[in-house]
Amino acid sequence: MLVRYFAAAAEAAGVEEETLSADTVGALRTQLVERYGDTMSRVLRAGSFLVDGVVSRDDARALGARVDVLPPFAGG
Amino acid sequence: MSVDPASERYARQRVLPGFGPAAQAKLARARILVIGAGGLGSAVIPALAAAGVGTIGIIDDDRVEESNLARQLIHGAADVGSAKVASAAATVAGLDPATVVEQHDSRLSPANALELFDRYDLVIDGSDNFPTRYLANDAAVLIGIPLVWGAVAQYGGQAGVSWASVGPTYRDLFPVPPAPDSVESCEVGGVLPTVCAVIGAILATEAIKIVTGVGTPLVGRVITFDALSGGFRELACERDPTALPITGLVDYEALCGLAPLAESITAAELASRLGDAPVLLDVRESWEAEIAQLPGALLIPLASLGGAIDQLDPHAAVVVYCHHGIRSRSALALLRARGFDHAQHLDGGIDAWAREIDPTMARY
Repeated sequence: MLVRYFAAAAEAAGVEEETLSADTVGALRTQLVERYGDTMSRVLRAGSFLVDGVVSRDDARALGARVDVLPPFAGG
Repeated sequence: MSVDPASERYARQRVLPGFGPAAQAKLARARILVIGAGGLGSAVIPALAAAGVGTIGIIDDDRVEESNLARQLIHGAADVGSAKVASAAATVAGLDPATVVEQHDSRLSPANALELFDRYDLVIDGSDNFPTRYLANDAAVLIGIPLVWGAVAQYGGQAGVSWASVGPTYRDLFPVPPAPDSVESCEVGGVLPTVCAVIGAILATEAIKIVTGVGTPLVGRVITFDALSGGFRELACERDPTALPITGLVDYEALCGLAPLAESITAAELASRLGDAPVLLDVRESWEAEIAQLPGALLIPLASLGGAIDQLDPHAAVVVYCHHGIRSRSALALLRARGFDHAQHLDGGIDAWAREIDPTMARY
């Protein structure tokens, strides 16, 4: 599965995208925190997981071919 | 006087393939509301006016501050202290006196949003906070008009179109607002001025496309810009099948975790209690304290508070404050967790103090 990181998520990961294996959104979340530590943990608190273009609200959600990790921005 | 779509001004647009006099006439008839005359609004508003949009509404209750001038190019040095909507309207009048500007010198709220949105064809959200972003999204859904949204932080920006009748909305991308302290604001994290210009230009372009029917709007797609790499990236976003329908407006401060806390103190209450000499704890950055500070306040930036908290007396009547009362909430939670049972935070921050208690205090 292709994981694409945007903005602060890309900074935390040090790459813009990579291929990872995980069965669910929750498993991917855990894996990302293990790999990239507190910085990624903070990003994931506010960020969205889009599974093949559909936002996930549920850590039990099964993954597909692509996940995009995107934090919201406040500023204007 | 009104905008004349046949004017020589628009000659380079009318010759565009697929544009022509018909698209220009649609722009002249269009009524577009812009939320925020800040960094994004400064790029959006002149672009819309110069392109020939007939009526532009602007809603913002801020005054121009010196720290705005690097990126909010619609305002100049002489405008510091003026209402942003008035300063923006004066700039538009200089570009084209035929453009109608409707000034709304107020804050978008659940009380005024629906009535206001109903008077426009399209809304552009360039606001700087999550309660306004979610309010704008929901109001646009309820009124049934497209919302072009953009946001910036540090070296990056995002933009998209939220349009419930044809595709996903902002809530399909970010269903739940982030916790108050989990996303940095521009005043803490900073913002590269030109990022506002890049994202603002995209917002104005999307508005022009939707009004004229030219091209394919950013519906179901989000554009992100990273100034450091110079790159744009795109991601797809579909409707969230598990989302509850939006049936009315709610309390957006509460939705975003910003409702007044029981441990809050208002600026007026603090003013009346200064005689009791509470410990005033300022958790902003030092550059902010140089602009304005409450007398006798102790400065410990939020990021340093955890390590410095032992310097403070947990039995003292501590009143913690920041700029707008968001960082001070995090500080309050930390203080309470460390046994500061009497700690309170200043609702609305030093900005509320400057507005309500001391009008001579510099705002930023």
